[in-house]
Order: sequence, then C-alpha cells, then structure tokens
Amino acid sequence: MPASSLVILILGLFAAAALGYFAAKTAPRKELPKEQPEPQGSVVPLDGPESEVVGPTTERPTEPSRPPAVSTADLLERLRDAIEHIEQGVILCDDSGTELFRNQSAKQYVEARDGLVLVEAAVEELMIKALAGRAVRREVELFGPPAQSFVVSAQPFTDGAGLGALAIVEDHSLQRRTETVRRDFVANISHELKTPIGALGLLAETIRDEPESEVVARLAERMIVEADRAAHTIDDLLELSRIEFGDETEFDEISVQSVVSEATARIASAAGHSGIEVIVDLSPQIQVLGDRRQLVSAVFNLLDNAVKYSPEGSEILVTAIVESGESDRSEQAPFGRSFNDSSTGSVVKLSVADAGIGIPRKDLDRVFERFYRVDRARSRATGGTGLGLAIVRHVVSNHQGNVSVDSIEGVGTTFTLSLAAIQPLQENP
Amino acid sequence: MNETRIQYHGELEEVRSDLIRLGAMVSETIGRGTAALLDRDLHAAQVIIDGDDVIDDFCLGLEERCYRLLALQSPIAGELRFVLTSLRLISELERSADLIVNVCKSSRRIYDVEFGPQIRGLIEQMGVEATFLIRAAIDSYVDADTSLASALDDIDDRLDELQVAYVQAIFRSHSEMNLNLQGAVQMAMIGRYYERVGDHAVNIGERVMYMVTGWLPEKSGAARQRLREAEAEAGAESSESANTTDGAGPAVQSDSSPQDGLGEFPDRP
Repeated sequence: MPASSLVILILGLFAAAALGYFAAKTAPRKELPKEQPEPQGSVVPLDGPESEVVGPTTERPTEPSRPPAVSTADLLERLRDAIEHIEQGVILCDDSGTELFRNQSAKQYVEARDGLVLVEAAVEELMIKALAGRAVRREVELFGPPAQSFVVSAQPFTDGAGLGALAIVEDHSLQRRTETVRRDFVANISHELKTPIGALGLLAETIRDEPESEVVARLAERMIVEADRAAHTIDDLLELSRIEFGDETEFDEISVQSVVSEATARIASAAGHSGIEVIVDLSPQIQVLGDRRQLVSAVFNLLDNAVKYSPEGSEILVTAIVESGESDRSEQAPFGRSFNDSSTGSVVKLSVADAGIGIPRKDLDRVFERFYRVDRARSRATGGTGLGLAIVRHVVSNHQGNVSVDSIEGVGTTFTLSLAAIQPLQENP
Repeated sequence: MNETRIQYHGELEEVRSDLIRLGAMVSETIGRGTAALLDRDLHAAQVIIDGDDVIDDFCLGLEERCYRLLALQSPIAGELRFVLTSLRLISELERSADLIVNVCKSSRRIYDVEFGPQIRGLIEQMGVEATFLIRAAIDSYVDADTSLASALDDIDDRLDELQVAYVQAIFRSHSEMNLNLQGAVQMAMIGRYYERVGDHAVNIGERVMYMVTGWLPEKSGAARQRLREAEAEAGAESSESANTTDGAGPAVQSDSSPQDGLGEFPDRP
C-alpha cells in the first residue's frame, strides 16, 4: 500500500535524523575522557612545553614543587604581556587623563581613519566621565560597511598612586550578527511553515460550510496550491539536511558541462514560460571532482533564482572558466584522494549571471541564510521556499569550495561557484 | 618655551585627529542616510536629521580651536596652511552632512513613491561613491597625498555619471507613468545632493593640494579673470585715460595671499 510505505519512509527519515543527532552528540563526549589520560601516557613531550608556560601562572600558582617560581616583577611583566594581547581593547589613564597604557587591540582605534575613530571618540568621552567617578558604558554602532558593533565601558579605579580610569572596548560585531541571524531564522521558518498550514486550515473550514460546489472546487484548488507549497518547503529542508550531513556525498570526476546541461534541462520549461533564454558558454573539458546530484541541485537552484527574478525576455548567462590560482587558498588535501595530485590549485569558476532586479547591498551577505528573504511579498508571489541559496552554500562547502555573489540592483546578479578543478590530460595547451 | 611648542604641536595633531573623526561621522552619515532612504525608514531618517546637530556642534568646537591656534600661536608656512586648510575642510564636511540631512528630509516627502530596482541600485551606488570620495578626501588630507587629492576630481566623474544615469532613469520612470511630477522632482534633487557631496570632496582635494604645495588649483581660473580684467582695463585706458584707481582694486590682489581666492569657488562645469 503506497500510503503506509510513505509513512514508513517518513518514520525512517526521522529515525535516521534522530540517530544522526545522537551520534553527533555523543561523539565529542567520547573524546573528552580520552583526552585526559593521554597526557599522563606517551604524549607528554608534545604537551610538555606548553603546560610549563601555562602551569605556574594560571593553574597551580601555589604548588609546593616550585614555590619561588615568579618574582612580582616577572608576574607584572607577564600580566602586562597578557593584557597587551587580549582581544578586548584596554586603555588605562591616570587621574589627569593622561594615557598610561593602551594594548595592541585598542591601538587600531587611534590609528584608524574610518568609523573606528568614532570608537576612540567614545573612549575619550567615557574616560572623562569615569575620571569624574562614574562607571559608564556605551554601545557604538558603525554603519560601515562593514557594519560593526562595539561596547565601550569605562570605570574609575584606585591604584597606589591615586585615582585613574580604565576603559575596555569589546567588539560585539560577530555576536550581534549571530543574534540577528538566529532571530530572523526563527521568525522566518515559522512564517514559512505556518503560512501554508494556516491557509489550509482556513480553506478547509470554509469548505466545510460551503454549499456551492463551484466555490468548493475553487477553494480546493487553493488548498492544493498551499499543500504543494508546504510540501516543497519540506522537500527542500530534507534536501538541505541530507547535504548538510554530507554522508551520501559521492565524489567522481564529472564534467561541468554535463552538470550545467542537466540543470538547464530542468529549468527549461520555467525559463521558456517567461521567455528567458539560458545561454551556456563553457568548455566541455572542464572537470571537477564532485557529487553530481548535489552540483546539479546547486546549479539548478541558481538558475531557478535567476529565472524568478529576471524580467521576461531577458538572458541568463552560464559560464565556466579555469583560473590557475596557486596563491588562492590553502587547499590541503580536502579529500585526501587523487584530487590533490591532479589539481595544482586551479579553480573552476562557474558563474550564473542574470539581468534581473538585483539584490540590495545590505542583503548581499545574508542571502545564503536559510529562509532569508530580500522581499517577502515578492518571494511569496514567485513561490520559492527560501532555501535554494542555503542549499547552494552547503553543496559548495561539501566540495570545499565557495560561492560568492555580486549584484547591483536594477542591473543584475552574478553568482559564482568556485570549485577545485581537475586538470584534463594535456588537452588544453 | 619648549613646553609651549610641544603643546602647540599637540594641538595641531588634535585638529588633525578631530578632522578624521569628523570625516568618519560624515561618511557614516552618508551610509546611514542612503539606507534610511532605501528602507523607507523614517525613524532612522529622523535620527540622522537630529544627529546633524552633533556634527554641527563638533564642527563649531573644532573651528574655534583652529581660530585659537591662529590667534595664539601664529603658525607660519606649512603649519599655517595646515590650519587654514583644516578650517576649510570643516565647512566642506559640515555641508556634506547637511546634504545628507536634505536626503533624509526628502525621503519623508517621497514616502509614497515606489522606486524601481534600477533607481534603487543607482541611489545605492551614488551613496557608495559619495562615501568613498569623502574617505579618499580625508585620506589625502591625513597623508598630505597630492596625487590622491588631485585624482579626486576624476574619481568624482563616476558619481557624476551615476547622477546623469539616475536622472535619466527618473525621466523614464516618469514617462512610463510610474512616477508623478512631484515625486520625480524630489528624486532628482536627491541625486543632486549626492552629486554635491562629491563636489565637496573634490574641493577638499583642492584644499589639500594647497596645503601641501601652497598652490591653489583654482588660480588658473582666477588668473584668467585677472587677465580679462587687465585687458578690459587696457582697453578702457586707451579710450579714457582717467579713472585708474577704480579698476586697480582687484588687480592689486597678489598671488602671495591665498585667502583672496577663497571666497569664490568657480562652479566646475
């Protein structure tokens, strides 16, 4: 029976996901106890010098084996060194406001010429307040680009000589960004899943009390659309989690042309519907080591986006070139296979360029997030799931590559996949 | 004695670092103002409009400090030019921030106007170019970099081109009935504000040239004017030999005093 087999399949998927989750959770726990006995055993020489440096100052300052370990001057020197190199900016001044100390990290704010100098301005202002005896704190948001966020705090303190003040600058940019991403993700996923379900519920309610068969038929039609939408979202989520696990990834030598032609075949009807022409311009010799299914899915998603956001009758250009970039990145045997010998650091740049509406600058670095929408109203009209680019990103990260986007609103968008190339056997001079 | 010199140099250094801060404030304002316009964020626009008071206050304090330096330390040569240039830069930057305030005020008036992607893209690019120009102008000042300073005019061409394309896009949008006249005029003025920010950056470049070399780039224009005046005077003299003192006024201004040319900035074509 097809229905029951579907249920079994879904249950199976859940079980697999749960197992995977457990495996992932328990794996690091197993490693923890392994680490502890090791230093006592044979691996001591490796850890030896490091623990000697760290040991006396932090962990065992009062250990009887080495009581006269560090003199006060030595300790002070080390403390100073530590403060010099910590991530936070530390600025110290005496009671007259003269600067006594500024660590490495805090120096950038003085030397900067862009928005960072405004951090220094805040430090100075707060320092004056701290010298007047108040502990103060301020957030400094820089528009950039890049957008950055700092927290500057200053407080008075007493040292032997008299009253001075201490200011600390913390860079909260990453934290702020993570918060935004997380918050938006939760909001977006609930929106994305709840909207069709909510619509289905409402439509079903209306149908229940609707006597006219014509209206019922129309409402049922709408229900099918909403159900399809939900199913599509779930499909993409499953696809994404499959790719994320990366277990099924099978690497073969595949030609980029075959990947692109498979993807263009899949998009052909949608493109034809809007009168959009997909032009492919690449050499059939270009090869990469990768998972065909995943790469097709990535290219298809890029094409799908390009078609959705392009005006009727426009063109989409798919190109691929091989760039020999020895200095490109440190590609240290990502798969440990023939990959490393055959590629001499050359990179295949596969681009999908459209002449569509483009992406606003502020959204450029966020479009790869799951369910991130540049314009919700529009994407609901075009019927995407909001997961396409997240899938692309995961596919390329499975392939140790990267994806970049370049766009000007009203001009067009170009997505470029960079994948490690396999050199064809001297076919290309 | 020595201490006063140290203090004096410290004060010069402070003027420099405060001008960098002012430049940072202005370039931040450009980015924020552009975002407020594109996001239809009236609250953000109001924050920028209010924030301009902070910039004005900062400018006033900095200007005051420059005056005090001039009055109490009587700087000479390069240091004099540095202080004079800094004074000019303050007003150029202050005015640039005001222009972004104008953008924000306009954004309130065109709240109901829908911009197409092309217009949005052009506004965004103009914002980026304007920010870049102000940053480059500040860099040229801090580094006393004459080649960068003189390149600003050429860099500004990009912004000018964008503005032309932007106005054309507005015309197109208007003719396609997507934009009413009122909206179109407001939008066109916004383009003009960005373009003016670029001009201020170019002015900064010219002032930096003066600071470093003592040569005012506008002297070429001023020299032409003097030549014309001299010619006119010669013509007048031949016809009527009296009344010489009247025409001598502008001709007396010698090249050695650069302030003479400061008042009139010939509008660049």
